[in-house]
Amino acid sequence: MSSADPVTEPLFPLPAELAIDTDAARRITTAFIRAQLQQAGFPRVVLGLSGGIDSALVAYLVAEAVGAENLLAVLMPYRSSSPASRGDAEEVVRRLGCASELVEITPMVDAYFGAPGREDASALRRGNAMARVRMIVLYDHSVTWGGLVAGTGNKTEALIGYTTLFGDSACAFNPIGDLYKSQVRQLSEAVGVPAEIIRKAPSADLWPGQTDEAEVGFSYAEVDRILWRLVDRRLTPDEVVAEGFDAALVDRIDRMVAGAEFKRQVPPIAKLGPRTAGIDYLYPRRRPRSART
Amino acid sequence: MASLRIALAQTAPRLGALAENLAEHAQRIAEARGQGARLVVFPELGLTGYLLQDLAAEVAMPRDDPRLVALARAAGDGAAIVSFVEESEDHRLFIAAALLEGGGVRHVHRKVHLPTYGLFDEERFFAAGTGFRAVRSEALGVTLGIAVCEDFWHLPAPWLLALDGAQLLVNVSSSPGRDVAAGHAEGIGTAGSWRTLLRTYAQLTTSHLLYVNRVGVDESLSFWGGSEAIGPSGETLAQAPLHDPALQLVDLDLAEVRRRRIATPLLRDERPELVARRLDVLLRTRAGEIPGEGE
Repeated sequence: MSSADPVTEPLFPLPAELAIDTDAARRITTAFIRAQLQQAGFPRVVLGLSGGIDSALVAYLVAEAVGAENLLAVLMPYRSSSPASRGDAEEVVRRLGCASELVEITPMVDAYFGAPGREDASALRRGNAMARVRMIVLYDHSVTWGGLVAGTGNKTEALIGYTTLFGDSACAFNPIGDLYKSQVRQLSEAVGVPAEIIRKAPSADLWPGQTDEAEVGFSYAEVDRILWRLVDRRLTPDEVVAEGFDAALVDRIDRMVAGAEFKRQVPPIAKLGPRTAGIDYLYPRRRPRSART
Repeated sequence: MASLRIALAQTAPRLGALAENLAEHAQRIAEARGQGARLVVFPELGLTGYLLQDLAAEVAMPRDDPRLVALARAAGDGAAIVSFVEESEDHRLFIAAALLEGGGVRHVHRKVHLPTYGLFDEERFFAAGTGFRAVRSEALGVTLGIAVCEDFWHLPAPWLLALDGAQLLVNVSSSPGRDVAAGHAEGIGTAGSWRTLLRTYAQLTTSHLLYVNRVGVDESLSFWGGSEAIGPSGETLAQAPLHDPALQLVDLDLAEVRRRRIATPLLRDERPELVARRLDVLLRTRAGEIPGEGE
């Protein structure tokens, strides 16, 4: 933030214990992106650009890693998505100079929920369907663009389970999945993501005015501080409370983390044969002869 | 002055790609020799990549493998330290570091400490070595103490090697970078921890020390490089960059070890017999042979 006017308000709250060395994180994530592509035999990347901070950050990192000419940003609004989000996504495309494509997902989603018996589907069902339709669109563009699908989920949402299984969590690799939301904001500022995108309230953009923080009932800065203690420092919930955090909130977050374990792991396979993938057949994902030729 | 030019070959091995990595090693050896280096040191599992899992058996070689002999020949009248998966005659797999000189494999150190915690899972795939022995390099005219990565997270490794006669400690490493919390001197917590250890060992054993860490990416892991040479007072003699491949040259003044050991005779004043006596008691106590003491 050295270039910022000293009287300017910070763009976001950053708890001190979550501050990262952005140069190191930038260096590691961009090299990681290059290695994933090289080892898989793909020259390009495709990602879903929502107008939010997470996908904007990944777009900037990919552009830095392999050049904007190798990035395809797919904008996939639903009819209830905010026009402002689309405007922010278009601004990222404009600034990076990457290829982009607009795919309205409304007909796909509405075709399913328009069928008899599904018209009154809950917002949760509809939100999940939108995330999974976007996954279908991205993986189809993976073929036509010749690019790997980059994941854009952060550590906070993966830990509390604020993701759709096989939806937004589906990807070939994820450069920011070990960064808490607070750290995503910090790295975004360092790589030049537009300030308006960093500053605005995070939203799944499923209906007008929705924000993540209103929906789950706590701020990202707060949940990040608790998760960092529970997960990275291995404190027990009682020890976190002893550091001054609200007991009910710590308990709730601890349950959310446990309840989302299944979203973070490969589904179990019933062990029957002598050698079973993921159990006693253990290979790196990328190895000799595994790259696309 | 008895100067020894060394090349720290900070490479980015391709995971499981033995032939490619062998070719890369031969090329770096030739390059280093072209720049006058007498010893070329490569990182841990530089010939195979680190995160092998079940690939380990597929890239394993016996210590007399002709491909290693070919690398030894490439080192000419100098020497090289390379690291690979060694398969013993009874088919155990080891993480090995070999001293190549005189056209053959002069010495093999098998990694003793196999980390199996956190992001590491080495004991699942590898057998552990059983000791640390210094080795005299005839080609270089110096006694080496070779260890692999985690070996140096245990105090006895550098200490035993120095007591065994090593004047030049060598640690070959595949250290994944992690902990990018703000405030670390070089941006990576792992780097800071290693720097502290290495300087302490060089100073306490009054030895030269070479640390060669790899770069590149295996799956989720990014290796931070930062290979370096440290003098017997703990001073930095040369440092390779973080993250990028490099062939870092350094000239060691071998006589500096003698000067340091005369001026500050820490190694002379070690009391290994005291340590051995106390260790004997501790071991028998742990085994339950001496009731009442300790546990």
